[in-house]
Amino acid sequence: MRGGIERKMARWGVAFVMPAIVFFTLFSFYPIVSAFLTSLTSRKILSLLKPDFVGFRNYGYLLSSSDFWNSIRATAVFTLGTFIPLLIFSLVIAFFITGMKRGQRSMQLAYYSPAILSSVVAAVIWLSILDPRGLANQFLNTLLGIQGVDHHWLASSVMVQFSTILVYFWKYIGYFVIIFITGLASIPPSVYEAATIDGASRWQSFGRITLPLLRPTIAFVSIMSMLQCLKTFSTQYLFTQSGAPGAPINVITLNIYNTGIRDHLIGRASAMSIILFVIMLGFTAVQLRVSGGDKVSY
Amino acid sequence: MKRLLLLVFCLSIMGALWATGTTEGDDGPITIKFWTHEDPARTEIEERYIQEFEAANPGVTVERVTNSSKKVPELLLTAFAANEGPHFFNTQIEDGYAYIANGRVAPIDAQAAGFTSDSALINAYVDGVLDPVSVGGDVYGLPLELTNWAIYLNKRIFRDAGLDPDADYPRTWEDMVEVSEAIAIRDGQILTRRGYDFRYPYYLVSLIPMVEQLGGQLISDDGQTAIVGDEAWLKVLTFMQQWGPNGMNLGSPTYTNARKTFNQDNNDIAMALSGLYQAGRIRNDNQEFYDSGDWMVIPYPQFEDAVKEVGALYYGHYYMVNIQVPEREQKMAWKLIGYMLSHPEEYLDRVGLTQPTKALMASKTFLSTPYADVFAADMERSHIVYYAEDSARMQELVKEAVEAVMLSGESPEKALASLKVKAQELLDQQ
Repeated sequence: MRGGIERKMARWGVAFVMPAIVFFTLFSFYPIVSAFLTSLTSRKILSLLKPDFVGFRNYGYLLSSSDFWNSIRATAVFTLGTFIPLLIFSLVIAFFITGMKRGQRSMQLAYYSPAILSSVVAAVIWLSILDPRGLANQFLNTLLGIQGVDHHWLASSVMVQFSTILVYFWKYIGYFVIIFITGLASIPPSVYEAATIDGASRWQSFGRITLPLLRPTIAFVSIMSMLQCLKTFSTQYLFTQSGAPGAPINVITLNIYNTGIRDHLIGRASAMSIILFVIMLGFTAVQLRVSGGDKVSY
Repeated sequence: MKRLLLLVFCLSIMGALWATGTTEGDDGPITIKFWTHEDPARTEIEERYIQEFEAANPGVTVERVTNSSKKVPELLLTAFAANEGPHFFNTQIEDGYAYIANGRVAPIDAQAAGFTSDSALINAYVDGVLDPVSVGGDVYGLPLELTNWAIYLNKRIFRDAGLDPDADYPRTWEDMVEVSEAIAIRDGQILTRRGYDFRYPYYLVSLIPMVEQLGGQLISDDGQTAIVGDEAWLKVLTFMQQWGPNGMNLGSPTYTNARKTFNQDNNDIAMALSGLYQAGRIRNDNQEFYDSGDWMVIPYPQFEDAVKEVGALYYGHYYMVNIQVPEREQKMAWKLIGYMLSHPEEYLDRVGLTQPTKALMASKTFLSTPYADVFAADMERSHIVYYAEDSARMQELVKEAVEAVMLSGESPEKALASLKVKAQELLDQQ
């Protein structure tokens, strides 16, 4: 009798999960498999002919290509330069906002507002700010008490990398602040009360209570932010379209786009996306293992 | 549960049958999809042509979809990759040639396009302009425009800098440096007024002729070697290095696009490179400046030690028809293209586009168009831009080299060495 009820409930469980599985299969799993199969061919985007099977030749080409390794470097610089500050600053800002007695909502709104802008709009706004005659030069020159210095925000190899990091940091910091605020709110106040009674300072509470109990949220934010950074595209695309040098910010996604759309080599572009997928999968697994996943004990 | 699954299965089968059962008959109504780039002046006249065409051809509806000129190649490519391309479109030959090479577009139906025969069609056009779209004896496109660029000059800024526009305009690239330096105004390192600035992404059209003036080539005559003539290339790369922010600081790709700024006449830029169509755009953007007579067009400069005179290379925007649409719709698409292109004088007069028919080039309209003579003279000492399946990639490689010397502090020798290797590899892959 009991087994019958469980089986019936399990069937409903399967029915409820099925749409998500179908959705995942159609829009995630199938494209991954299809991209992998395409990566083993010499398919060109416009060709109507059956593409030749080339095995792992596309992968071999990429691994010996200086252009591809430059993309790996650009992606690594961008990811490390963005996701570590994003993680640290969003946690610190969330901690301060949570401790505010007034104006919490408006601060959350202020930080979150750039996240609702499309990446294209954000990049266009920043393009006008970073123009040699734009606000960025004026602001920094006023701050440093100098005049007429062009900091080459988009024109030098180093500065253009910094500029893409700056735009991404500005756009996504609010999103991760909100997630941390939610994580902080889920820690029972009684734990802090007990610590206060035991004489713990605010910093001790942060180090001994907040950080350990926030571990699942930190793991989530670090994985999400890292994956977002690895997938970055629109800022680099718009910057290069507006005259910024391509090589310093030619991240893997931009290289995939250029190889597939500009050069028509969809087989090679697919191989690059599979490599990116494996990198993302590997980093996620490592992060989950290092952070201990969602294990937390009170 | 089983019933539910069965119901979903039946509904999907019915849906699929319904979706595949709606093809139109041989004489049913047709909707022709036409994709093109934004150009307000052209939109105005083409929408009128389309209305007239629809009235003359009952049952035919035309959907004209516009997007920015930068976006169109990408949209077309993704649509064709999904076998969902429009009935017809126009694109620059550098992008369009791949559609011919991959058999994605149909040969012209000369009679549908309004010509008595294939040879009448070919004879109607200036010699050579259909060559880029001719493969194996078939012609695959009709030119919406054939364009070369010359230099638009703001006389007011010249006078403000103490120069006489008629006497002091730059004839050589060396003059261009001198004049631009005289015109430039800087706030420290920041340029607040530029003399001239390049059209940076379009290197095949505007930079290759500089190399050719000095005896270099992008591709050798036999098509086997890329980047020919090291000395010429080095001189041009050094010129660009000196032009940029780390040299004489006369301009940079990161400043606002010179061609667009020029129309505003806001003391920002004195000279910009553009086509005959720019005059119409000045009129649309700034009627007062257009009417003031304070602008003129001068020829594309030459190097002082040029071994041959070369103007900016010309490119064509060609109309092409999707071979995957039914034959009846292909014919209708060619008929519409033929109808629109039967108004070359209005295209020239209202939009500033030159459709290179023999009749137009000999017409009063062309001969009396302001500065058409400057463009025509430059075109005579020029040739069509490099077009191949990989021309976009080739342009990207040249761009990388120019950016490396202008912005990244790389030496011209190193940038050239890298360009030669990559360009040759690309050529060998063809």
